[in-house]
Amino acid sequence: MPLKILVTAKRVEDSESKIKVNPAGTGIVLEGLKFKINPFDEIAIEEALRLTAKHGGEVVVVSIGGKEVVEQLRSPALAMGANRAIWVNHVGPMDQLGIAACLQKICEKEKPDLCILGKQAIDDDQGQVGSYLAEALGWSQATFASKEESLESEAEKSKAPAIKLSADGKSVTVVREVDGGLQTIEATLPAVATTELRLNQPRYASLPGIMKAKTKPLEEVTPASLGVDMTPHITVVKMTHPPARKAGIKVADVPALMDKLKNEARAI
Amino acid sequence: MAIDSNSPSFVSQLCFGSILEEQILPYPKMKEAEQETFKNIRSSIEQLLRPHEKDFREWDAKGEMPASFIEELKQFGLFSLLIPESHGGMGLSTTAYSRTLQELARWDGSVAVTVGAHSSIGLRGLLLFGTDEQKARFCPKLATGEMIACFCLTEPGAGSDAASIKTHAVRDGDDWVLNGNKLWITNGGIAQFFTVFAKTGGPGERGSVTAFIVTSDMAGVTTGPHEDKMGLRASNTTTVMFDNVRVPAANVLGEVGKGFKVAMKILNSGRTGLGGGSVGVMKKMLTLATKQAKDRVQFGKPIAEYGLIKQKLGTMVVDCYVTEAAVNLVNHLIDSGHEDYAVEAAITKVFASEAMWRTIDEALQVAGGNGFMREFPYERALRDARINRIFEGTNDILRLFISLTSMNEVGSQLKELASSLKGIFDNPIKGFGVISDYARRRAGLASNLIKRENAVFTKLHPAVQPQQQVFEALTRDLATAVDQVLRKHGKNIIGKQFASRRLADMMIDLFVLAATLSRVSTAVSEKGAASVTRELEILEVFTGQVKRRFQANFAQINENDDELVKSLANHALDLDGYTWDNV
Repeated sequence: MPLKILVTAKRVEDSESKIKVNPAGTGIVLEGLKFKINPFDEIAIEEALRLTAKHGGEVVVVSIGGKEVVEQLRSPALAMGANRAIWVNHVGPMDQLGIAACLQKICEKEKPDLCILGKQAIDDDQGQVGSYLAEALGWSQATFASKEESLESEAEKSKAPAIKLSADGKSVTVVREVDGGLQTIEATLPAVATTELRLNQPRYASLPGIMKAKTKPLEEVTPASLGVDMTPHITVVKMTHPPARKAGIKVADVPALMDKLKNEARAI
Repeated sequence: MAIDSNSPSFVSQLCFGSILEEQILPYPKMKEAEQETFKNIRSSIEQLLRPHEKDFREWDAKGEMPASFIEELKQFGLFSLLIPESHGGMGLSTTAYSRTLQELARWDGSVAVTVGAHSSIGLRGLLLFGTDEQKARFCPKLATGEMIACFCLTEPGAGSDAASIKTHAVRDGDDWVLNGNKLWITNGGIAQFFTVFAKTGGPGERGSVTAFIVTSDMAGVTTGPHEDKMGLRASNTTTVMFDNVRVPAANVLGEVGKGFKVAMKILNSGRTGLGGGSVGVMKKMLTLATKQAKDRVQFGKPIAEYGLIKQKLGTMVVDCYVTEAAVNLVNHLIDSGHEDYAVEAAITKVFASEAMWRTIDEALQVAGGNGFMREFPYERALRDARINRIFEGTNDILRLFISLTSMNEVGSQLKELASSLKGIFDNPIKGFGVISDYARRRAGLASNLIKRENAVFTKLHPAVQPQQQVFEALTRDLATAVDQVLRKHGKNIIGKQFASRRLADMMIDLFVLAATLSRVSTAVSEKGAASVTRELEILEVFTGQVKRRFQANFAQINENDDELVKSLANHALDLDGYTWDNV
């Protein structure tokens, strides 16, 4: 049974960039930063492509933001092999409820069998959108999708999907990562799944893929056209760097060390 | 920026004391659409090559990269960079291609040269001179890597003197029958597409060379074993032999007898690729060296805090920035359809290969003993880099090429003057109505009647004025130097390699300085002086370096040890080496 899968591609700061909080403490300094796709979303796209490679179907990728997010939609998302993209053009503040509402409206129109999202984005680590979306749609949800085999296994090398579609095409089996182990669940379709790091090793966009992505369909919508009010319910009040570690001290000899440990650090 | 494709070479005009600023201003930027494509290419390349970081070291030791990896490069599409989109390629501009080579070279020199030999020179002849039929026949396969290309010019007896090749082809019916041996062919053993140069004239006819497309399926094409090299060890280098190979006439590339021109055009346009690779390596070395300097603690402080380490790092920054400026500028000239860029491309090759060598050498020095250990990336980078000063035209030959080509026009005008207007320089003012443009400029410079006539920039930002003035003064000095040298040696300049080299060094420095002025001035105009403080500092440091080197070279035109050095060389040659052993 062909599957229609909707995936997300959030644009986030490259984790190798040096992140600095702005002087007002309200956000980070964006100048000079490199951006890339949220790695969890990249895994979601990979899983969707494996599923459609096996069962046929279509992968639609969505991103929300200013025109710069088109960069991540084209590559890696479309360049990896997604069929088409939807860009929700929105500049300005947004929170997880607003994002989930946009995705809900798109799902109502696109009617995918499955939505695969990163379990969280590496920029703000909120990890809420997948659950909100499942709730809003009234769909089943399978968070933290992972797999039993390692990323070095033959199953991984053969690019087999880890999310398994049932024979009747009505549900999926998902292995979830839980504290200290794995849990296998079956979820009826349509469903929302969110990805763990160990779900798969995403492919890279090949150069021919990048060229093909240039002409793949990309539809632009706005929250207004979707009928979504993006007014945030949550505002970021303050951002700070973790406190800097204080420099160590040198002690003259062992008795001095013992003294410090006993009386200052109270470690012994 | 519109550049008149017929406008003369920037450096040749500097020799007249003229600055063709419209050629170099504003400093070019990659087109926006291409920037986006390039960013995608860059992040994909990182995903492709990062997992192989450990392998590169192993393949270097082994002297070979596995076929499975070459297959991976093909699948990835790395052989399609320069092939037009209409033939299934990426259709990159020279600028974006060179930038892509930067990224490859950062990861591994052998990968960069495998891709570079294919695109920069292996298939470039097809793109430049191929007929539509030839392109349709080969481009799609070259784009997928089903065919890997190589460039076959060098022979055992013909290195820098490429015109002396012995491989020859004789017409027989519809075919040419090709015989001969080629040496040190990058990709030779993995190639299916060979751009081959062979004599097609009678014996003794030095000039008549023709370029052919030879494919590995033709009977009589064989390759030798993989060469054991100092660096770029994982890249494939072999001899290629042609034994009575029947090449269809439809595979002649360009015109019969015009092969030498084909070869030179390919090499000229391929040279900026090496510059791109060099910049990539320099950026990587700077990253490694700064990290090392901060991590390594000696005498209780990170060595980054010591002056001699800072001196190395600061110099590396300058070298990297100015090299990138020159390489980008020439790439842009090529992309704009400018025809006369051979000298400027040669300058980027010479400057970049030497700046890269210095940079790796200093990064290795910052790493101290670790730098000498194979476990660290420095020694491999140094070995890989060395060939850049040798292949695609040795830096020595290119220096002669740079100065002789640039002076050519001045020389021809001087000759005209010498025959028709003898003595005109005794009284420049009298001759104004009749003397040629050159003489007028010369007269102007010599007598200061026409102040700074053509040796001026008018479009640079005022923030770079001090450096602009140095450049203008040095340009006038270059014109004077060229004039002096040509008057002294006349056409014998061809044999005066010491003098030519000096002039070449002056031209190289001036061109790179021009590119840097352009880059910094444009940056100031776009972002304001306050946000490009560092770039202004780079310009200041580099201008100082150029000025001091230039003045030393200039002084040595008339005061030098050339004859003494030559006589010592002759002494060593006579006695086969050193003769002052004490014991």
